[in-house]
Amino acid sequence: MINKKGGGKLMAMYWFVILMIVAGGIFAMVYSFYQHPYDVRELEAEMMINQIADCLSSKGELNLELFNEEGFSEEFPENFLENCHLNFEVEEVWEGEPQYYFRIDFYNAINLENSVFEISKGNSNLVADWNIQEEKEYKRTAKGVEDSFFSFNGEDMYLIKILTIIKKTEKNVK
Amino acid sequence: MFKKAEVNFAIFHFIKMKKRNKKAAILMENVIFIILNILFITILILFLLKQGQGAVLLEQSYAKQIALLIDSAKPGMTIILDMDKAKDLAEKNGLEFKDIVTKTNTIITVRLSTSGGYSYSYFNDVNVSLYPNGDPENINSYVIKVNEYNQND
Repeated sequence: MINKKGGGKLMAMYWFVILMIVAGGIFAMVYSFYQHPYDVRELEAEMMINQIADCLSSKGELNLELFNEEGFSEEFPENFLENCHLNFEVEEVWEGEPQYYFRIDFYNAINLENSVFEISKGNSNLVADWNIQEEKEYKRTAKGVEDSFFSFNGEDMYLIKILTIIKKTEKNVK
Repeated sequence: MFKKAEVNFAIFHFIKMKKRNKKAAILMENVIFIILNILFITILILFLLKQGQGAVLLEQSYAKQIALLIDSAKPGMTIILDMDKAKDLAEKNGLEFKDIVTKTNTIITVRLSTSGGYSYSYFNDVNVSLYPNGDPENINSYVIKVNEYNQND
């Protein structure tokens, strides 16, 4: 009788130890989950690609402001941010350190190996962050998205490749 | 002194009482055990519910949501964002609904408690107006009105 009663108490203790372990696990998982910020950099990069693509081409036709009589114009890229309504101003924590980068490569459809024109703006140091992620994804580096489309300027067909990279690590990764 | 029948009855009564006490003790142990389990599960559920409704988490979520909505918007669009949870929390913390979302240049700040709030920037260079929805059917929502592109002369 004594052993049976003692066994029951031992079982209750054992049960509470298990409960505590389970609770500890759940607390740890929840705490860890909510401590990590939402990473929205890929979405931002995709949206930037859309905005740039809309600025460069509409209904399959390239923006004619990109060209002059001799070919690609140098004026349009100079004021690209204003022309395409992009503002790279960021929060105070990153003051003086641009958090965005994009590069646009134009390829003539008859020769897709060599780029005929390039436009890039923002922090070019982020390209290294993007490049090292080809083999393995690193959380704390900048996130980038690459996309391409064909467009026509009335004479030639061009393949346009856009790469956008967003850093903002401090607000998206812990 | 006592008759044998009386002694037997006393012993029988004593054993019966002892058994009853033991049953009562077992019942009490089980009741305490069940109460502790229920208490434990309740605390766990409350913890889980509270974690998802913290000001820090909601501020971040709404600030990023608004910034992304502006990034994907075109001039002329009007976006209505449901901020029911934010309103409840802000009012609980003594803040007015009209003050919880602010914009400085291209930076959106959402503040649901008396601390500094959470800021996130957007890249779309549009002129945006943010204000609480006056529509009685959507009183807990915010209006994000995307006006024309900013002119940089």
